[in-house]
Amino acid sequence: MLFNSLEFFLFLPVVFILYWFPFYKKIKIQNLFLLLASYVFYGLWDWRFLFLILASTLVDFFVGQVIYSSVSDKKRKTWLWVSVIFNISLLGFFKYYNFFITSWVDFLSAMGYDLQSTWTLQIILPVGISFYTFQTMSYSLDIYYKRLTPTKDFISFATFVSFFPQLVAGPIERASNLLSQITSKRVYSYTQCTDGLKLILWGLFKKVVIADSIAPIVDDIFANYSTYPASTLILGVSLFSFQVYGDFSGYSDIAIGTAKMFGIELMSNFKFPTFSRNVAEYWQRWHVSLSTWFRHYVYIPLGGSRVSKLKSVRNIIIIFLVSGFWHGANWTFIAWGVLHAILYIPVFLMGRNRIYMNNVVAENRWFPSLTEILQISLTFSLVTFSRVFFRSESITDAFAFLQQIFSNFTFETYQHPMGYRMIDYFILLVAFTCYEFRIRRDERAPFKFKSKYVRFAAYTLVILAMLLFYDDNIDRSFIYFQF
Amino acid sequence: MRKLILKSGLYVFLILLGLEGLVRLFHLGKDTPTRFLDEHKVEKWVPNQNGFSVTGNRRQNFSEFRINNSGFNSYREFTPTKDNEEIALVGDSFIEGFHQNYYNSIGKKIENMLPNIEVYEYGYAGYDFADQLHLIHSYKEQFDLIDHVILGIKFSNDLTRNEYQVVAGRLALESTTNRMLKKSKLLVYCKNIGILDPPQKLMYKTLNLLRPKTTPKKLSEAEIEKTKKEKENKFLENFESLISKYGYDKNRFTLLLDAGKTSPLFMNYLKENNFTYIDFSEPFKASNRSTTLIYDRHWNNHGRELIAKEIVTYIQKKKAQ
Repeated sequence: MLFNSLEFFLFLPVVFILYWFPFYKKIKIQNLFLLLASYVFYGLWDWRFLFLILASTLVDFFVGQVIYSSVSDKKRKTWLWVSVIFNISLLGFFKYYNFFITSWVDFLSAMGYDLQSTWTLQIILPVGISFYTFQTMSYSLDIYYKRLTPTKDFISFATFVSFFPQLVAGPIERASNLLSQITSKRVYSYTQCTDGLKLILWGLFKKVVIADSIAPIVDDIFANYSTYPASTLILGVSLFSFQVYGDFSGYSDIAIGTAKMFGIELMSNFKFPTFSRNVAEYWQRWHVSLSTWFRHYVYIPLGGSRVSKLKSVRNIIIIFLVSGFWHGANWTFIAWGVLHAILYIPVFLMGRNRIYMNNVVAENRWFPSLTEILQISLTFSLVTFSRVFFRSESITDAFAFLQQIFSNFTFETYQHPMGYRMIDYFILLVAFTCYEFRIRRDERAPFKFKSKYVRFAAYTLVILAMLLFYDDNIDRSFIYFQF
Repeated sequence: MRKLILKSGLYVFLILLGLEGLVRLFHLGKDTPTRFLDEHKVEKWVPNQNGFSVTGNRRQNFSEFRINNSGFNSYREFTPTKDNEEIALVGDSFIEGFHQNYYNSIGKKIENMLPNIEVYEYGYAGYDFADQLHLIHSYKEQFDLIDHVILGIKFSNDLTRNEYQVVAGRLALESTTNRMLKKSKLLVYCKNIGILDPPQKLMYKTLNLLRPKTTPKKLSEAEIEKTKKEKENKFLENFESLISKYGYDKNRFTLLLDAGKTSPLFMNYLKENNFTYIDFSEPFKASNRSTTLIYDRHWNNHGRELIAKEIVTYIQKKKAQ
């Protein structure tokens, strides 16, 4: 079920009312209801893969108990490996199996051994597998590191794994945040609900108006890149930056907003990455839940930055490689990860990777300074450049795309594939960026206006924009579902 | 919870009201003129209405229409005389031309190219060949005064009937409920941009779940070909039946069609039986610019220009003979 579908807008109020009325009194019943609702939400896509979620849930529930009750470190480690291997195997099979086989065959063929691969399989990638396997693994890891006590309530744990707002595309939650909220009694709050509704509205705007409306342009440019001049290709990849941001952050906002309606606070996933002043700040603001996951469970156990500079650099490279690979079974994502490591390391070596952690651009000012504008522009350009790899079908396509930019460095006016006015999109993106800049201090309060009349006008305009850019013929699924 | 429900309801109501205002302010929704059945049972627009036709979410196509005394969209009144030279264009929405300013219609373009001729556009969305011949037959006296009558025809969907009958479904659009609903520009706008389709589709999907499943019979290539031939023969029979019933003056009447999209069976029939026609397939094919609107399959200004030129060339040739 998609967040931007009619089915979801029928499903949500029904679940909301049942959750707060008949099932409110007993938390166990409420959690069981939430679990069933989550399974219905997922099962409407493909019910067969519910067994996969259930298997991952059972394994980590059991492993968590055993790790906690084991005294010997060796036994604890062994059981941790059971969880890690099980979850990574699920991912490995469903997401990476064909990639490994074809890469192996390609490698052998490059070495002169021509093999005909008959081992690739027609595998459907279960939606959200990368998200929920990481979430269940974090549970076992936290118990192993003695940061968490396992729950004995299987229903609560299963709800934590499959909580429908964040099941298919995150934010990837740690048990210490989400499970603790699921096991304790939630209290209905009017303010929390309305905050949730506002986030849902803003998330829908980002998805429907920003991401979906520019998707046909991006698709056209990347599909026909060999026929376009540099100006169009730069336009295409820049628009893709907005598309992927609108798509994924829109999804996250809807997820966080929906969870709020059920009295649950999820972590923020996007903190206006467009206004990052260097690549390190960008990673503190983009897909925060994944970055945090890797920092906690990979980077810090490897020694983080508390080891020698050389080892720290090694750790950074590992993190970005793994992060790239997490996104998809394609060399393009690995190249994207490597590129980000290359962009991050100089910032790290200059000691500027943490300087923007606790402030936003133009702090206490209305407008950014000229230096900040230059920093933001440079960061945006570098990140956008890396997205050529993220968006291209293959590594060959990515390099050909870049080559086309440099070899055909000319300017031509781009015509929308359906003949629509391009100026509409430019006005839209400028207005969107200005508005995001205005609200940049709090990603959870997109409609923070003192006057209720202004707030009302903002809601109306946002809905009007959705009508103005609505397109029934568009594929409305979310980009990050493929990961 | 009660506060949330009440306030949400109030907000939804106020937002809808605000949107209704904005849609009206920016004229995003189209105006829909009223239709009626006249004394000859000819369906047309109520005379003397004005308004704007809008296509696309963001007013990608915006044009003014004017319904004249005769109930058709035109900048002029239809007053044929024996002394003057007139052309009648009879057809569906392509001739009606709500998607263009009424003062820049195909007829007006023809008049600009042939200054001494008056062009009357009897276009009405949904008219098929039965509607067209019934109109001509009903207003015989008027049409007898017109020198050239050009009838737009699409073989694939204009010949499904062998006699004229009032299309009740179209007139149902004038029911009290529909008229009430049309008062909301927001609703009209939402319907036009397709935002109301998902609820409808969901409703049909739900209803279909309750119905027993029937698997459509798969037809072989030969069966498909046979069905197609039968259909074409039926359309041809309907054509013959209609012209014999309502009359067809081969000297004055001319068909306007796209030969590229017309069955060879019908084309051969026209040639063998000396029916004259204007084929606009060639100029459309040769055009390096789009001939249709972005959001709409109707002809754009360039397409209309090509049609007008084809008609002018035909009239000039006819007059030269």
